[in-house]
Amino acid sequence: MSIPLVPNLLRAHLSELAENDSRIDGRDRWQGRETQVEVDVLPRAEGSARVQMGDTIVFAGVKFQVMQPYSDRPNEGGLMCSAEVRPIAGRNWEAGPPSPEAIELGRVVDRGIRESGCIDVESLCIIPGEKAWQVILDLFAISDDGNLFDAFALAGIAALRSAVIPAERFEVGKDSPLGVSKTPIMCSYHKVGGRFVYDACHREELGGDERIHITLGDDGNVHSLQKGLKGIFSTEEFDEIMRHALGRTNELRDLIN
Amino acid sequence: MGGYGDVQMIDENGLRVDGRGPGDLREITIETGVVPVADGSCRMTWGTNEAIVAVYGPMEAHPRKIQRQDRAVLDVGYNMAPFSTTDRMRPGFNRRSREISKVTKDALESVVLLELFPRSKIRISIEIVSAEAGTRCVGLTAASVALADAGIPMTDMVVSVASGKINDIVVCDLNKEEDNYGEADLPMGILPNSGELVFLQMDGDLSQEEFKQAWNYNMDAAHVIHEHMVEALKGGAVQ
Amino acid sequence: MRKNKDAGEPRDSGRAQLLVVPGEDLGDSQGLEPGHGVMEVNGRIRALKRGMMTKNGSYISVEPTHTRYFPRPSDLVIGYIEGCTNNIWFVDIGAPFNAILPMSLGPGKAEFGGTRAIMDVGDAILCRVQEVEETHSSVVTMKGMGLRKIRSGSIEEVDPHLLGRLIGKGGQSLRALKEETECRIVVADNGRMWVDGDLSGILQVRDKLQSLSVTSQQNNAGGRN
Repeated sequence: MSIPLVPNLLRAHLSELAENDSRIDGRDRWQGRETQVEVDVLPRAEGSARVQMGDTIVFAGVKFQVMQPYSDRPNEGGLMCSAEVRPIAGRNWEAGPPSPEAIELGRVVDRGIRESGCIDVESLCIIPGEKAWQVILDLFAISDDGNLFDAFALAGIAALRSAVIPAERFEVGKDSPLGVSKTPIMCSYHKVGGRFVYDACHREELGGDERIHITLGDDGNVHSLQKGLKGIFSTEEFDEIMRHALGRTNELRDLIN
Repeated sequence: MGGYGDVQMIDENGLRVDGRGPGDLREITIETGVVPVADGSCRMTWGTNEAIVAVYGPMEAHPRKIQRQDRAVLDVGYNMAPFSTTDRMRPGFNRRSREISKVTKDALESVVLLELFPRSKIRISIEIVSAEAGTRCVGLTAASVALADAGIPMTDMVVSVASGKINDIVVCDLNKEEDNYGEADLPMGILPNSGELVFLQMDGDLSQEEFKQAWNYNMDAAHVIHEHMVEALKGGAVQ
Repeated sequence: MRKNKDAGEPRDSGRAQLLVVPGEDLGDSQGLEPGHGVMEVNGRIRALKRGMMTKNGSYISVEPTHTRYFPRPSDLVIGYIEGCTNNIWFVDIGAPFNAILPMSLGPGKAEFGGTRAIMDVGDAILCRVQEVEETHSSVVTMKGMGLRKIRSGSIEEVDPHLLGRLIGKGGQSLRALKEETECRIVVADNGRMWVDGDLSGILQVRDKLQSLSVTSQQNNAGGRN
């Protein structure tokens, strides 16, 4: 990713907006953009989803491969998560090996899903010690208008929940749905003009400071946290964010299930 | 090209595996404005192919070394997403994608009025999110629509389509099985106004007469596809 | 080939408008002067861009629905400083290539090596295009009435084809907007606009731009006239 030019006026303007409890696109502080989720959109994937949040658009695709289980875990399959933000998604994304931003995106989303334990890796075993399923979740950005984190996380879990194990194609049995026992959901908050807001758009990310990503499970359990970029926040600020996340993750979960 | 001539793909009535006749195209849909942050964009489905193309620019050409003093440069990237094929495609450097990026660039540079934007670049990102034979044709065609959507001046749009041969019969627009088991593949990039070409590749085995037949199939198909492109640019999504 | 009903005959004269696409045949070129967005090929006029074809007497052109800004001398532009050397600033003016602002044409007194102290990367400026050379950058200047570094307010990106409705006949829509919102508004030629004043005024201007954009999209939805 190339470092985008931050117009200096933007930061001053965002501060003024924050002081007046306004946002640059007219939303409320805790209001998310219009969100749409569609599943089964990619014919060649075993599970797929397309998520649109405002002008941010992403795909998630699930592919299965047969792997040899690790010798110390002969009854387990695996989950791999990979994120790509290619030049198609925005002016500032460049071709070439994954940037630190893209890598962070992939890993943060991966942890949110993996740590919830929503995929039972033992259920992926085909023949102990010999064959097991590897579930590969590929996250792919099409249009970046901010908050790729939440879009990727939402698309990822939606794709997994609609995935079907292609046992017939691999001649190891009958096709069956991938067992996903929970629906972990991520909510991301950016500090813009001195206060945290939910679901930042591109300009807010550009002129903003640190960000916090929270993944919560069906029962409100915390499954992963990440603070990114430089900045300092307080316990009070964090509590406020967590309160919002508890409500919003439920709303998004309903969108999927 | 497999050249597995004994896999039956077309019957005595000229019906292909998917029910098409020898000269028939797969179903096509075209939409514009599908990547909101880009200057122009196009989503095209063709059979179960799906390509999404975004155009950015013209903008300052970075790095300096790719700049040309007399005209713009096209920065074309063709890529297949990992979930676009039955067997997952590993992300990263891919020779085939590099080659297709280059020939696509050569085709588009023949129609874009590059001299109007010296020292700048136009970035064209072609992402194949679902693949089923003929992806280079979908990519090039969708790129033309995306460029028009972005307001880039062109002397004409490029329409790309491929014909080939299965069971010794020349057919238009090969699908996946036909591409795997067929005996020839002839993709072309055609300018609808003049019938001239900006893109041409071929591999397989075609007699002079079969070659002419495949050529003509492509020319005829190009006009049909072009009408879809024009309608999409004028009035929104088209089936 | 797509059948063109009036092939060979000129389209209606006057202000007839039609949405065309690149490569589209617009009729015989005889007696016509090809303008912006069209070219003559073998005695025919051909569209080069997607946009509205307009015929004004013998002058035929295509106004694109989406376009990039092209600098012309004396244009008033709002730019962002993207970089600098000891005596030059590089300015993003939303054109296909950046502009150059030499220190001698900058604000205030020039001192070699002192560019950063005067204006730094990310600063916004109101300046004028001095000259445009084909193979070199365009040159902008801040020597002139009202030209300055922009220190407050907000800069909005405006689609060029909305400018007409924004400004209005004889500038009356723009004047009304300024009064209503009590903001200083400067509409530059490069698709950017500086709005300065109370936050509520700025938000009002933003709303106005948003509604102009929505109505424009609705009008173009069918695409055909």
